[in-house]
Amino acid sequence: MKKGLKGLFSVIILSMILSACALDSSSTKDSSASDKKGNTESSSAKSTEVKEYKATNLEALPNKTKARKDTFIAGISAPGGVFLPYFYENGWDGNATDPMFAPLVNLDPTGKPVGILAEKWDVSSDLLTYTFHLRKGLKFSDGSPLTADDVAFTLTLLHDPAYAGEQDISLTAIKGGKEYKEGKVKSIEGIKVVDKETIEITTEEVNAKSLLILGGQVLSKAYYGKDYQFGKLDYLKELYPKPLGAGPYKFVKYVPGQEIRYVANEHYYAGTPKMKNLIFKVIDTSTSLQLFETGELDYAGFSADDDTVEQLKSLGFANLEVGPVNDYGFIYVNNSRPQFKDKAVRQALVYGLDRQKIVDVKFKGYGTVANVPVSKVSWAYNDEGINKYEFNAKKAKELLDQAGWKVGSDGIREKDGKKFVIRYLTRTADDPIIPIAKENYQDIGIKFEPEIMDFNAIVAKLGTKDYDFAAVSTSQILDPSDPVEEFATGNANNAAGYSNPKVDELIKKGLNTLDIEKRKVIYHDLYKELNDDPPVILIHYRQSAKAISGQIEGLHPDNFTGISASLPNISIKK
Amino acid sequence: MKQYVLQRFLQMIVILFGTSFIIFFLFAMLPGDYIDSNISLTPQRAQELKALYGLDQPVLQRYFTWLGNALHGDFGYSLKHQEKVLSLLNKYVWNSFFVAIFALVLTWSIALVSGVISAIKQYSWFDGFVTFFVFAAMSFPSFFISLLFIKWFGVDLQILPIGGMIDTGSDSTGLAHLLEVGKHMILPVTILTLLSIGSLTRYFRTGMLEVIRQDYIRTARAKGLKERVVIFKHALKNAILPAITLLAFELPGLFSGAIIMEQIFNWPGVGRIQLESVSFRDYPVLMAFTMFLSCLTIIGNFLADVTYAAVDPRIRLK
Repeated sequence: MKKGLKGLFSVIILSMILSACALDSSSTKDSSASDKKGNTESSSAKSTEVKEYKATNLEALPNKTKARKDTFIAGISAPGGVFLPYFYENGWDGNATDPMFAPLVNLDPTGKPVGILAEKWDVSSDLLTYTFHLRKGLKFSDGSPLTADDVAFTLTLLHDPAYAGEQDISLTAIKGGKEYKEGKVKSIEGIKVVDKETIEITTEEVNAKSLLILGGQVLSKAYYGKDYQFGKLDYLKELYPKPLGAGPYKFVKYVPGQEIRYVANEHYYAGTPKMKNLIFKVIDTSTSLQLFETGELDYAGFSADDDTVEQLKSLGFANLEVGPVNDYGFIYVNNSRPQFKDKAVRQALVYGLDRQKIVDVKFKGYGTVANVPVSKVSWAYNDEGINKYEFNAKKAKELLDQAGWKVGSDGIREKDGKKFVIRYLTRTADDPIIPIAKENYQDIGIKFEPEIMDFNAIVAKLGTKDYDFAAVSTSQILDPSDPVEEFATGNANNAAGYSNPKVDELIKKGLNTLDIEKRKVIYHDLYKELNDDPPVILIHYRQSAKAISGQIEGLHPDNFTGISASLPNISIKK
Repeated sequence: MKQYVLQRFLQMIVILFGTSFIIFFLFAMLPGDYIDSNISLTPQRAQELKALYGLDQPVLQRYFTWLGNALHGDFGYSLKHQEKVLSLLNKYVWNSFFVAIFALVLTWSIALVSGVISAIKQYSWFDGFVTFFVFAAMSFPSFFISLLFIKWFGVDLQILPIGGMIDTGSDSTGLAHLLEVGKHMILPVTILTLLSIGSLTRYFRTGMLEVIRQDYIRTARAKGLKERVVIFKHALKNAILPAITLLAFELPGLFSGAIIMEQIFNWPGVGRIQLESVSFRDYPVLMAFTMFLSCLTIIGNFLADVTYAAVDPRIRLK
């Protein structure tokens, strides 16, 4: 799911710049259906977190909204105009291509895989071979047939050495993929087109995340592949502004910096969508509320706070949903520095920080303290047996004393002649962690020095492990392994410098099976271990508010695909 | 005169090269490049991508590659937009230009008239009012005043659009299109004018006050010339002479885009592209655009010097 990764990443950056995001796919619907499978999580606690407010007064709909009879308008932040999956460099373009390019497999509102263009798929017993069975009679939006050849072409294209996009196909370890990339062979051995509707893909490593990568959006071989030569992909640039896919909508026009227009695709496998026109309008978060209020938008997402929520409620014509976002915020701790090597010290640093206060200040009631490194919307979330590390300065002091950090004459702890000083990297001067951590850590004898720098600079420092503490937020979490993989010893992205053999083993096990029930158990064990020996300091889960115009029916934004999954089903209430 | 122009022109070329060198290295020194900022890549993949984009080469080599291409008119592909830099900038820069040129004309005309009148009627109620107004307008933060105007005219009165350049889904052409864009332009232009009018008005007022006190003005009055002739023929010409320099400095401003205004009004201008290119370390765009602005600044200076030399012989002689 390159779209997820890339999209999420830009979302982070953008939300850093703009402090919120509109059409991000990290939308926030916590479907209470996700709890019905009867797992151990406390579903009551969860469902209370999603608050829904129905429109009370449809008469109040703005005239502009009422005047729209066959058009749906959603906001988007900053699309760049590269309308080709796998090739765009901007997460918003990912959102913009979603309605036009359907994947074989997508995630349902609970984060479990569901067939879109694929009717079903089989995985061999050794979990290495995937067989996708396409639906019958699939067509691209120009009416040309979509077959297993197109799927094979898409996967081959991603193996081209000139491919410079975001998708890392090597993660799936398709048999013969490496040889193809190196130019040693003419075709990829592991990709086998069985018949027009069946494709068999053999991989060399078990990876729970392969299904979604292999079952990604399908590109037309006839359209995108007619000029394809090995090692030359520049011809595709001509086609970036002229997308052709098999999604519910087809492209009409892009007005740079203004809007993207689509029209319903009559060849869509599930039938022509009821809403004839779709427009993604470029908006800025500072005025998205005003745009929604005056009827310029039918759907918009906001970072939740009392003012925004009250304002949206008072409009009367909006269906409103306030719920958790599929990410979490944390502070990187540099485990490779001597003062943070000791598990007890890291525990003390969590105990000694009033995280509840940070969350209250930052989200004003629309956030909770995080103790499990996955979002509450994930099927893997389970906080049973998890130590909540409630704020406890006394305990923190004891742990530090035991670890050999003695209070010096100036009130700052020291060990082996070194003072305990934490340099904290953050992006904004109004980060509430600064004053709170400064006071809390001062109290337990640690000096806390904040430093403000831009996001790329922080990333560069994380990469070279040249930091003590650094505040970040995860990307949208599509698979529970996404945020924890990096804690494995030797993982190249292990910015925390963390190492724990038990964690290494559990991370590996978590990806070594495709059975969600089995994975749940593995991740629960992993979370308990990460809870006891914390690699980072988990801070918050946040919430967002989603407003949908009262006259729109059938739109259910979810935490994994945003609004794209429900686009084929929306209509205007008569 | 010819020699002076030639000399200044040669200087300009040298300065341009120097600027490109400094800018390139300053950007290269920013921590993190385009690939680094993507935390989800595996190191192998990141390395592959860096090689594909040429980011693994030494900075000096990258500079000369860039310079060589740039001299041939090839400014490369935007990493973020996957599109030729020139066509990308061409798409957005005119939107910024139109807002800026309207704001410039408005600002200069209003500032000139109000500055001169305040100077002639120093300490009158009009002078007091203008002074108060321009200082007030100048002191509002741009995002605040923009949002306030959006609330008043866009949400409460609903007479002006909240943002964007066209109505959503609009397919208007010709005159209807111009009117539509014009309507969307009112608020951004007004706000840019409000923000920049203050300093310029004060500038004209001071310039005029200084000139009015000169001996030759007293002489002109003593000759019995009409007050209007004294002010507009003798005083004004001399008072606005230094403004040539200011006007030359406006040249890059016409194309640079107003980042905050464009953001708030969703104006598809180049300011946004520029800001994005910095935060994503999109070097080709960053280089091309910064160089474009430096060129305009340097050319603006050049033009100012030449114009000065033309109107003021003292400068030529030095």
